[in-house]
Amino acid sequence: MAESSGKVTLDRRDVLVKLASAVFAGLVAPAVVGEPAPAEAVTLPELPQLPPPQPDEDPLVRMMRDLQRALQKPVEQRRWAMVIDLRKCVGCHACTISCVVENKLPPGVVYRPVLEEEIGTYPHVTRRFIPRPCMQCERPPCVPVCPVNATWKRPDGIVVIDYDQCIGCRYCITACPYGARTFDFGDRYTEGTPRAQAFLVGEEGAAVHETIPMFEYGQPRPRHDEASPVGNTRKCHFCLHRIERGLLPECVVTCIGRATYFGDANDPESLVSELIARPNVMRLKEELGTEPKVYYLL
Amino acid sequence: MVRRILYGLAILAVLFGLWGIYDRVAFGHQNAAYGSYVVWGLWVALYLFFTGIAAGTFVFATLDYLFRVPIFARTGRLSLFLALITLGAGLLHIWLDLGHPERVWKAYLQPNFNSVMDQIVWGYTIFGLIILMMLGMSFQPQRYAGWLKLLSAVGLFLALFLSGGVGALLGVQAARPFWHVGLFPVQFPFFSLASGAALLLLVYGLFDRAANEHRRSLLRVLAILTLVLQLIKLYFLWADFSQSIYGGVPMNVAAVTEVLFGRYWWAFWILQLFLGSIVPIIILLWPRLATEPPWAALAGFLVLLGFAAARANIVFPALSVPELPQLIGAFHSARLQFHYFPSLMEWAVSVGISGLAGLIFLIAYDRLPLTPEHVRSA
Repeated sequence: MAESSGKVTLDRRDVLVKLASAVFAGLVAPAVVGEPAPAEAVTLPELPQLPPPQPDEDPLVRMMRDLQRALQKPVEQRRWAMVIDLRKCVGCHACTISCVVENKLPPGVVYRPVLEEEIGTYPHVTRRFIPRPCMQCERPPCVPVCPVNATWKRPDGIVVIDYDQCIGCRYCITACPYGARTFDFGDRYTEGTPRAQAFLVGEEGAAVHETIPMFEYGQPRPRHDEASPVGNTRKCHFCLHRIERGLLPECVVTCIGRATYFGDANDPESLVSELIARPNVMRLKEELGTEPKVYYLL
Repeated sequence: MVRRILYGLAILAVLFGLWGIYDRVAFGHQNAAYGSYVVWGLWVALYLFFTGIAAGTFVFATLDYLFRVPIFARTGRLSLFLALITLGAGLLHIWLDLGHPERVWKAYLQPNFNSVMDQIVWGYTIFGLIILMMLGMSFQPQRYAGWLKLLSAVGLFLALFLSGGVGALLGVQAARPFWHVGLFPVQFPFFSLASGAALLLLVYGLFDRAANEHRRSLLRVLAILTLVLQLIKLYFLWADFSQSIYGGVPMNVAAVTEVLFGRYWWAFWILQLFLGSIVPIIILLWPRLATEPPWAALAGFLVLLGFAAARANIVFPALSVPELPQLIGAFHSARLQFHYFPSLMEWAVSVGISGLAGLIFLIAYDRLPLTPEHVRSA
């Protein structure tokens, strides 16, 4: 799949697993420890330049540093995890919207809704906001039910979907205890809107935004008619296409309260490892034994 | 006269269905009412319904070819044919329900045998082939007696495995407490048998014009079987719902409450319980009525109607309870609703498929020797 010139050609399944493959992991590790890379070597994309570490640096910068460190490891040694501090979440829904924009999600498809909960009675009332991405379960109930192996857990723990393999039976949606999978019915936001020369509204302007490619799983995929992912199940993938380029998931960088943290839970130096070790951490529906990798701080 | 009315209804249903199929093909799932929360709708419920009947009627065919029960002698071919068209109707429903029906081959060539769904896909395919082979052989039963016996035995196992497997398809899902009960795979074979018996009651009641002792005996046996299986079904229903309410698991209680007192309470109380269970039980308890063809047919029809409602009451309520209560209103979209009623397109497709199955049956019944002479004589 890789040529000696270094140019890499990938088929669709390889695209999904490219950085996660054992081959790739085996190639990166020698580069890190200084051994010569085999002929099939696939190099990491150029990672963003970061400033030198500082004591009180922004958590985003620290998390990017954590991310880059994790990317140097073989994929199976990474354990991507997300921590959401519910005390900091103000319910602005910026994460939801930025996710929609990043992944060009059509109507009815949502990867990260923010659940709202009212607690107590007047005068002792409070509201709690619970962002709910895919839990990327260690034991994902959605995976074994798929009749065609279209969804699986990568070595780094992210549960992915091969849109070209999925037959659209929706069994995985019924199996998810968190309602984290949605179906792409082929709906469009601009359906039935007036034709107008505009950038943001109307068929001729906004519709363009609906058909330009999205880059989920690192694969440019323009949206048209019945082509996948229309007719497929869709879900949050921790912005895998961004992670692999050293970028944090979109919901993390757009969180105005710095309430969402992301990193490698296998790295004891990472910010998420620090947060997960706190006593006020919990996970949703622990009793089901799915072992989510999304943690909440209460 | 009855035959003409049935032909007319079937043709009208097919015409209505053609519009639905056109809509489904031209616009995909856009005009379907199910969404990402109630993700399975009418077509999945009717898939369960029709394939259940197929398994049930096949079991009745084995009473002729395998167990040689005298009263069912020479009824096997008709049972096999009914199994074939109901299986076809069920599989057509689920095929159109797929997001990418053109990829169904992947279930065969790139299978995940850990998936109950894939096991069932393979199972129904083999089951369908067995029915087809047996149907062919049934026209020369003397010559293929041994084969018919062997295939009946394999098919009987498959019929039980598949109807139980459909229960397991739902039952394995720990995310849905309403489905996640050990009783599910046990209940479904009984449901299949009951619906198979009911279809035979309907068919023999409508078409068997031979007023002789055999007809009366056959209807009596089918009536008793349907009655017993109906009572077993009611017992399962009671066990299921009472345990759920007593156990008090919120998601489970919510689903049962949705069935009993929710938006579509009438589907349970009127269709499933009153028309689908109590009225036919009353008819079947009365021996004179139960052996009168029109009444037997009515009882069979009502039992089937009740089963269709029961399948819907299994599929929809479990999905209409949010996995996390706050999901309601977390993100607004017509596809993110927890209530569901089939759209016109969905009804059209289902009516069309049912009409097509009925039309094929009527034509085949008139043109092929599906029943022995003593049944067809009038």
